[in-house]
Amino acid sequence: MKTRALGMVGLLAVVIAAIFGLFVVPPDANQGDAQRIMYVHVASAWLAYLSFGVTALGGLLFLWKRDLRFDAVALAGAEVGVMFTAFAIWGGMMWGKPVWGTFWQWEDPRLTTTALLLALYVGYLLLRHLTDDPMRRATRAAIVGLVAAVDIPIVHFSVVWWRGLHQTATFGDPAKLLHPSAPLLFVVALMGMLTAFTIVWAYLMIRRYQLARTAWQIEEHGRLGRISAARQAAVRPVRPVAEPHPEEVGS
Amino acid sequence: MTIARPAEPPLPQRRRRWGLIAAVAVVLAVIGYFAFSSIGDALVYYLTPTELMARGDAAYGQSVRLGGLVKAGSIEQGASADLTFVLTDQTTDVTVHSDTLPPSSFRENSGAVVEGTLQSNGTFQASQVLVKHDENYVAPSGSAVPSHVTP
Repeated sequence: MKTRALGMVGLLAVVIAAIFGLFVVPPDANQGDAQRIMYVHVASAWLAYLSFGVTALGGLLFLWKRDLRFDAVALAGAEVGVMFTAFAIWGGMMWGKPVWGTFWQWEDPRLTTTALLLALYVGYLLLRHLTDDPMRRATRAAIVGLVAAVDIPIVHFSVVWWRGLHQTATFGDPAKLLHPSAPLLFVVALMGMLTAFTIVWAYLMIRRYQLARTAWQIEEHGRLGRISAARQAAVRPVRPVAEPHPEEVGS
Repeated sequence: MTIARPAEPPLPQRRRRWGLIAAVAVVLAVIGYFAFSSIGDALVYYLTPTELMARGDAAYGQSVRLGGLVKAGSIEQGASADLTFVLTDQTTDVTVHSDTLPPSSFRENSGAVVEGTLQSNGTFQASQVLVKHDENYVAPSGSAVPSHVTP
């Protein structure tokens, strides 16, 4: 029930922040209404970073403690993060076309490294299907999640390290992006959307974690069921063929 | 309904771990190299007018991207899509001509990135005009090494 309340609060916060960003804050002097995309774009990008950071942390803790609950946290981060990354890219393209004059530039470092980030974590999710052994799956995923996390700072600092079309970070110096005559409203709109998105993120993370644990329990239940069936089969002498030998039964 | 587990291969655990560490080290080294070496210059998204002109004769006819500020008062927009303006990095000016319409956010003193070639008459013929929309955009100074590249 508490989780559901969190989801409701998040949804309400997004609606309020959207109304604020769309109707209360004035449009940007140079970019017009298209600049309003910035609020959801920056919020999505922030949560993509946060999600994949959680995946890396979950992976690290799993490797250390060998506790599958950390793997479930890592999985939740990767899946939710892929969603927010895709959203950030999509919103960025919708913003780029009217303001930059192009949807996409492959040579822009920020755009390219972000596309790589998406590909890395889609790969992470695919990798998880390669084995049925939960421990092995978690170990492999943890390693890939940690290596992929290297791209997070590259994405973030790409606008500082290399020249590109993408402007520099909103976080370091928010004033850079803001309309001089109405800075406070812009900041409030951005912070409001950041907060709203983060609440929704927390809700999604909790739900995805719970789902992962439930899926694991079902998986484990099936495994135990098969083991006991195999034990019974070993006791009873006459059984159809193709039953596993007791020695083959995994512990 | 088989639950037979594939036999674990004899684990060269330690070797695998070293392989992993080596892989991570390589990845980190590549990032460090990109970040702190000037190889970034070979992969730059755009050249500044000064950098383009520093190429001398080699600058002409080459397909490049050029970035800078749109000089105040330099925009001449003719009938339909016939645009001329000056792109500057505060040291060197390049006159740009384009037959394509820029986005509506295009204006004086804003950043712009143009794609095209420098003609023999000194005009840059652009096939695409993009707007770099940071209001506080500061073009890299005219020096050969842009300030953001740490030696």
